Amino acid sequence: MAPVTITNVRKRYGSAEVIHGVSVNIEDGEFVILVGPSGCGKSTLLRMVAGLEEISSGDVRIGGKVVNDRPPKDRDIAMVFQNYALYPHMTVYDNMSFSLRLKRRPVSEIDSKVRHAASILDLEKLLDRYPRQLSGGQRQRVAMGRAIVRDPQVFLFDEPLSNLDAKLRVQMRAEIKELHQRLKTTTIYVTHDQIEAMTMADKIVVMHDGVVEQIGAPLELYDRPKNLFVAGFIGSPAMNFIEGQVSAVNGQPAMTTDDGVVLPVSVPRALLQTGQRLVYGIRPEHITLGEGGPAAHVSVIEPTGSETQVFMKLGSNPLVGVFRERIALHPGERLGIRLDPGKAHLFDKTSGQRLA
Amino acid sequence: MRSNSVGWLFLAPTLLILFIFGVVPFLYVLVIGFTQWNSFAANPDMQFAGVENFRRLVFDDQFLYSLWLTLKFAFFAVVSEIVLGYFLAQLFMRDFPGKGFFRTIHTLPLVIAPIAVGATWRLLTVPGLGPLPYYLNRWFGYDFNISRYIDQAFFTTVVMDVWHWTPLVTLTLLAALSSLPKEPFEQAQIDGANRFQIFWHITLPLLKPAILATVFIRMMDALRTVDEVWMLTGGGPGAATRYIGLHIWRVVFPKTDYGYGSAMSLITLYLTIVMCWMLYAGLVARRELKRVD
Repeated sequence: MAPVTITNVRKRYGSAEVIHGVSVNIEDGEFVILVGPSGCGKSTLLRMVAGLEEISSGDVRIGGKVVNDRPPKDRDIAMVFQNYALYPHMTVYDNMSFSLRLKRRPVSEIDSKVRHAASILDLEKLLDRYPRQLSGGQRQRVAMGRAIVRDPQVFLFDEPLSNLDAKLRVQMRAEIKELHQRLKTTTIYVTHDQIEAMTMADKIVVMHDGVVEQIGAPLELYDRPKNLFVAGFIGSPAMNFIEGQVSAVNGQPAMTTDDGVVLPVSVPRALLQTGQRLVYGIRPEHITLGEGGPAAHVSVIEPTGSETQVFMKLGSNPLVGVFRERIALHPGERLGIRLDPGKAHLFDKTSGQRLA
Repeated sequence: MRSNSVGWLFLAPTLLILFIFGVVPFLYVLVIGFTQWNSFAANPDMQFAGVENFRRLVFDDQFLYSLWLTLKFAFFAVVSEIVLGYFLAQLFMRDFPGKGFFRTIHTLPLVIAPIAVGATWRLLTVPGLGPLPYYLNRWFGYDFNISRYIDQAFFTTVVMDVWHWTPLVTLTLLAALSSLPKEPFEQAQIDGANRFQIFWHITLPLLKPAILATVFIRMMDALRTVDEVWMLTGGGPGAATRYIGLHIWRVVFPKTDYGYGSAMSLITLYLTIVMCWMLYAGLVARRELKRVD
């Protein structure tokens, strides 16, 4: 186990820079998730930590030592790839013991480590099988077993659940989290799935176009997104955004949408300028039913049993609301809603940054 | 049933051609192999001789020597081609300036007819005329004469075969290498394997089917080499490069010993089949494993 420090790391392919100075501190034993849309540089960053990609500038430290010029084998890391990267010509046992055999560890030690890892992952009965004889979930577990056997300083996961079906993904998500709680090995995990990030991470690093947008605990990102990108990326269904400009109602600051709907805001007046363009963000679960607020028009209703998602229009702005109660609604119906100013997020339209 | 007979009707032309040009000659050689038939013999007529030809073969020093030479030739040629072909394939996996150009000219030997390859190499190496003996002698004082030294003649035929057929090996291995997944190699780096260990534990096992198939093809080809060597050395000096194909040709045509030559062909065919079967068994064993899922 070791802390990992990424300091001002850049990656260039020729003249094209794809990672523009990323810095992340990962504490010893922490579970950190790099999340972002595809092409944001998260996998490249992970591969730089692994040593599979060269670092154009900046430092990567593992356990306090700069590892920029060390080959992957000297970094004491284990990695789980998206398509598992099992050795197709080796049995599960050989796959898991390969790294130890390369280190010429005693046979008894190899055997006990492999069997221990196999028992953790419930692979004991599969040790003699070949990868092609395993299901996706089993392959995934073998790939993890191979990492556990190494007992490395850092675990690296590169979208390990993307190739699994939805049900198995939820199950493996819990297994990986449990495994981390048990082994307490520093883990860096890359995913494009924000639900994975929210449910598993101690700390999330949101990346976009080669820069870090925000680093923080999952709920911190959820409750206080620093900018429009993070606000829109974290949360499912995504946060609703309504554009408008600063106005005042009875001396209190408010935002008037382009359709003339007035939404009260709870931001100190000093932060706002008259005429400033704003983006008003409200999470679907923070829309409540009730008269006295603006009126929306229902377009689609999606009952999932535990909750009801309602797609509606507020003026010309589409909104999604999630309601715990079962409500009888019909498309086209008028729906009185309330947007709690205390729960709303306010962003400057030009800079995309959060106001207060 | 009707569709079945229509199927046979469609196959009939191919089967007929195959029968006339494949099965009939084979059966003909099979029959002749059991006869005594030599137009220069006291009795030039074909007469049944039982297994006499085959009995003679087992004690025929010239035949056994030729067979041994052929195996030696095939071994050196195929091993060199595989090793060299692998390195060239690895080279072509990397990027370097002029790669497309080199890859194109390196495949040129493949399109040259064997008889022309033999002629080219003869012009290169013939004593008193070829540039190779001339410069080897002038620069290194080395006496290169494939008409005199049997080892030189033997290895020149090997080098010629390597020159002619390595591109084929390179192309097959290049295709196999490019189709390998990238991740196991990255995983092996992380697992702590050095370059040699990655080659030994990952690349080689993953390439095994392609390598076996290539060895299979090259082996069969090398065992029946005739024209190139006939052009280059004519089987000499002495019988130093008289490989089995050449030997059979000598027995059947200049010597017109049809019965004995046919028996030789049959034995050679049998040995080739056995050797290829052993290689094929390696391939099939792999497939069996794959079939389990």
